[in-house]
Amino acid sequence: MGIEKIFGDSVITTSVQAVVNWARKNALWPMPFGTACCAIEMMATLSGRYDMSRFGAEVIRFSPRQSDLMIVSGRISIKMMSVLLKIWEQMPEPKWCISMGACASSGGVFDTYTLVQGVDQFLPVHVYIPGCPPRPESLLDALLKIREIVDGTVANAGVSPETVPEPVKGST
Amino acid sequence: MPLLPDEILRRLSDRFGDKVRPGKSPGSGQVIALVAREHIRPILAHLRDDPELAFDFLVDVTAVDHLQLELPEMEGHRFAVVYILRSLRRNHIFEVKARVPEDDPVIPSVQDLWKSALWGEREAHDMYGIEFEGNPDMRRLLMPEDYPGFPLRKDYPLRGRGERDAFPQYRPPRISAGSGEAKETAP
Repeated sequence: MGIEKIFGDSVITTSVQAVVNWARKNALWPMPFGTACCAIEMMATLSGRYDMSRFGAEVIRFSPRQSDLMIVSGRISIKMMSVLLKIWEQMPEPKWCISMGACASSGGVFDTYTLVQGVDQFLPVHVYIPGCPPRPESLLDALLKIREIVDGTVANAGVSPETVPEPVKGST
Repeated sequence: MPLLPDEILRRLSDRFGDKVRPGKSPGSGQVIALVAREHIRPILAHLRDDPELAFDFLVDVTAVDHLQLELPEMEGHRFAVVYILRSLRRNHIFEVKARVPEDDPVIPSVQDLWKSALWGEREAHDMYGIEFEGNPDMRRLLMPEDYPGFPLRKDYPLRGRGERDAFPQYRPPRISAGSGEAKETAP
């Protein structure tokens, strides 16, 4: 570009969206929805040894209105699913979702009458983490994948209510 | 001095005669008392108020479904409501079982004898569908309020009857393009 020819290395040109994505991916504010032992691993990931703040995601927000990354870590029962959906709806866009562990992703060993067999029946999940519970390294890996997704986000293409999938009836 | 379960059962039999039958807990083998549901309140009130027995603490009220475990002392009744009692003053424990038939699963509440019966009875109602007459709050405790079944009954399938896929869940309000007003969509 012409400007760079004039000013040399002291100036770079980019798009506004690239700057916004760069800022977003380095300051993800997670909303922890911890309902079981995966939440313990999530706490370990936040603490000093694994230190999620290396990737800029240490600012855990217990208010959904201040967060943009939902981490569903634990079993979600029928009774809890509507709470989870309400919290997801309160999060401002753009927003992303990690389904952490076997229970949140598929029901896990709890193949029972009361447990939702995978939150992806109701939420748009971006990254699934296997494991029961997953180790902190897995959560960090998921976070890095979310960062890649954020990096590729184009303007106004966030998750809207229309993209929430219809539940798969009788799938289990 | 604490009393052994055999002694407590003997005292109950002395007072109430054949209204009290001896039984054994299937798991621990401990001696328990089996009673008909009509006599449960006077017998439990006696256990609480007798100074030698002095059961001042109701540990738990729960139920057992004997659909696949037929015991002769159940006399063909399907459900048993179990009262686990403890005396903090006398330092002894005792267990009373009341038989409840399948076609009329109703039993008097004991929430006026021990306040801790309130939630125990609510849970037993939630899981087994047994009504406790006199309990002011018979809402479901653990399951969603509109859940159709009683999941701890032995004829209830472990995976439910499709409730986990077809429950009426919260749907987000959708913003229509023109008006800018949020509208609740039908569930």
